[in-house]
Amino acid sequence: MAHGLLVKNNNGEVLIDSDFKHYHFLGKYTHSSLTSVPDLLEGGVASGAQGSNANKGVENMPAKGEIYKYQVAVNGATPPICFVKPTSTGSNAPFAGIVLTKQVSNYWEIWIFQSAVTSASPVLYCFSPLSQISNSTSSTHGLKTFDSSGAVTFDSRFKPLKVVGGGNITAPALAHTGSVGSGFTVSLNVNASNVSTSFTNQSSASDLIYYCPSLAHACQQYTYIEADEGWHSYTYYAWARGDLWWCFYRSCFRIASTSSFQANYGVYARGHVYEHKVDSTNLLLGLVLGAITGGAYFVAAIAALGNAGVFTNASVDGGNYLPYENGSRNRSANAFIISKASYYD
Amino acid sequence: MSYGVEIFDASGGEIFSSTDSTFTLLGVYTSNADTTVTHANVPIMPTRIVTRVMVDQISGDDESYVHTFSLSGSNLITTRPSSTETVKTVFMVFGK
Repeated sequence: MAHGLLVKNNNGEVLIDSDFKHYHFLGKYTHSSLTSVPDLLEGGVASGAQGSNANKGVENMPAKGEIYKYQVAVNGATPPICFVKPTSTGSNAPFAGIVLTKQVSNYWEIWIFQSAVTSASPVLYCFSPLSQISNSTSSTHGLKTFDSSGAVTFDSRFKPLKVVGGGNITAPALAHTGSVGSGFTVSLNVNASNVSTSFTNQSSASDLIYYCPSLAHACQQYTYIEADEGWHSYTYYAWARGDLWWCFYRSCFRIASTSSFQANYGVYARGHVYEHKVDSTNLLLGLVLGAITGGAYFVAAIAALGNAGVFTNASVDGGNYLPYENGSRNRSANAFIISKASYYD
Repeated sequence: MSYGVEIFDASGGEIFSSTDSTFTLLGVYTSNADTTVTHANVPIMPTRIVTRVMVDQISGDDESYVHTFSLSGSNLITTRPSSTETVKTVFMVFGK
């Protein structure tokens, strides 16, 4: 560097460089609202005269997680770095991750998805470049650096971001492995093994906060069709039922210990679409079966999806009543960063 | 500490210490939706990691792709997996 300040630690790692636009503490944020994606249920007769009426709802389906929404006031085009202070840590803690980062007028809307419902709520510790922070202070102590343009890049009075660890982590390939169901019993719970990676050991897991936006998402489904026909009380009957259950998962994370970071999935949304036809006059079961593939229920499901503000790119025209089936996206590794809440409390 | 740097506030509280900080944010780079972009002049350090965040999605379950990337020297090469479904992505490069 031709001018400025460069600070390294004893390992030669750069800690302060006046050419870098260091992020500084914006504040702690609690959620402004809490929600979850409504179940997407569409189907025909609730109680058919013939055939099974089992599980026409969401029986046996895994529980959904919940979505915490935050409004982080920062006036600038660069999104804040929002660390998650989880509700708990350890091997039984829920997983959580940022699933939405969106600028709305003079604030950023941040959504945290947590894999399980808890009484406590995650808290955000947010950071931003000094140019996007309007804090003021009367303190005259500390260290302040400038870049070659004269812009302030580091100011110790505004609690610069201190990173104590980090690494890369990749979500599992799929949320659920193995059989996805049998008969009218669905099995789409998250059973993938946790992915673990280590970071520099710290003294207290409960003090740690992490930044690792959720990138990976997966969608898996289970379909089942059952039908029968025959004579009963001098009447020929035919019935058929077809079902499709699905879950949409987002990757999320947790602090497993003082040196271990884990990734897995949580159930973000779920649905069940079915058709159940009973006919005592139509002798051709094939026609009944044909009716099952009709798109009316899927169209209704799509309408419900749209009303709920989810799956905005889904279209029944392409058969995409789900975003995609039995697959995942964006699984490449993402970096995670660890800091401590006590630095900023 | 025997060497390094510590910064204190007016009350004597420690604000920054070189003993407990590791990664430094080197830069923030944005690739717009459905584009393939190379960002130049990324500072070089022995160890670098890159966080990605998808920005300005409509909801948390958009059917979308995040940019992929490779970091080579001072170039951060970001690639759209899809020409129509790749969201705006912000890259934050940390190094030590």
